[in-house]
Amino acid sequence: MELQDIFYNKVEYVETASGNKVSRQTVLCGSQNIVLSGKVIVQSDAIIRGDLANVRAGRHCIISKRAVIRPPFKKFSKGVAFFPLHMGDHVFVGENSVVNAAVVGSYVYIGKNCVIGRRCVLKDCCVIEDNTVLPPETVVPSFTRYASSPGVCIGELPECTQDLMLEFTRSYYQHFLPAK
Amino acid sequence: MPLKNSIKIMPGAMICNDCYLRGDITIGKNTIIHPHASIIAEAGPIIIGENNLIEEQCVIINRLPAGEHPISTPVLIIGDSNVFEVDCRSEAMKIGEDNVLESKSFVGRGVELTDGCIVGAGCRLTYPEIIPEKTVIFGSNCSRRQQSERPPPQTSQLDFLSKVLPHYHQLKKNKHEVKNIIS
Repeated sequence: MELQDIFYNKVEYVETASGNKVSRQTVLCGSQNIVLSGKVIVQSDAIIRGDLANVRAGRHCIISKRAVIRPPFKKFSKGVAFFPLHMGDHVFVGENSVVNAAVVGSYVYIGKNCVIGRRCVLKDCCVIEDNTVLPPETVVPSFTRYASSPGVCIGELPECTQDLMLEFTRSYYQHFLPAK
Repeated sequence: MPLKNSIKIMPGAMICNDCYLRGDITIGKNTIIHPHASIIAEAGPIIIGENNLIEEQCVIINRLPAGEHPISTPVLIIGDSNVFEVDCRSEAMKIGEDNVLESKSFVGRGVELTDGCIVGAGCRLTYPEIIPEKTVIFGSNCSRRQQSERPPPQTSQLDFLSKVLPHYHQLKKNKHEVKNIIS
C-alpha cells in the first residue's frame, strides 16, 4: 500500500544539507550534543534533551509530534549520571511518546502515547504498540511485539521486519513534502 | 478574565525561561522546573515547596470545574521533594512530601496525595479521595499496594541538574527577592 503524502508548511521546517527536516517548533536543548545522521524528520513540539547527555539518531528516523527523547539517568554511590542515548537507523517514534531508553536499536517502531522507562534497551527489529508502558531497565529482544501496561511480549514479528521498517521509514520520508 | 502574573521564586530555585507560568505562583528553595512545563494558577494561587523536580510537558493547574463558585479562593499546595515526570498532569489541591508522579499520569482535582506515594506511568486518579501514605499505584488497572519505605529523595539528581542546566538554558531571575533585600 502506498503511503499518502503528508504536507508540511515550508516556512515551519528547516532542511539541512544531509536531508534532516526539523520543525522550528521543536525544543532542541543543548543542540551541540544532538546528532541527526541524515534524512531524520523531527516534527513540531518534539523535545530532544541534548543538554542532559549526548543524543544520536541514525538515518531515516522519524520523531513525531510532541514526542520526548530524553537521556536516562542512573544513580551511583556518588552522584548521578545521565547516559547518552543512541538510536539506530530507521526508527519511528509515535506522537506523545516519551523515550527514556539507553539504547534503541535499528528498525524499531514505537507507537503513540508510549512510555519507554529509564535505561530500557530496545534491540533491533522490535515493535512497541500504542499506549505501552515499559518499566525501567526492560530489555526488549529482537523480533518481538510489546504492548499494555506494564509492557509484556504479546507476539513475534516476521523475519522481514527489517525490510518492512526500511520501506516504511523511506516512504515516509519521500511522502513528507512541503505544501505547494 | 485576564490573569495577573505574580511569580515569587525563592533563592536556589531554577526555573527555565521557556516554561509557562500563569497567575500567582510561589516556588520554594532548590526546586527545578525544566523547560516547557506549565503551571497555571487560574482559580487561585499555587504554592510549591522545596526540592521539587518538575520535568518538561508537566501541567500543574489550579482550575475550578465549570459552573462552580467557591466562597473562598482555593489554594493549591505542593509540599517538598516531589517529582513530576515528563507529561504528567496534576490538578490535586494538596500534595504532601516525597511523592512521585510518573510520566503521563493524571491526578484529578478532588484527589489528595499524602506522603511517599507513587502514581505509576499512565495511571489516572479521578475519584475524589485521600491516598494513604506510601501507596504505589501501577499498571493498566491502577492496582494499588502499600510500600514499606518512601521513595528515595532525588537530591543527587537535583544537584546534577543545578550544575548542568545553567549552561544550556536561560533561567528566570528572582526579581522579587532582590526587591525585598533592598527595601
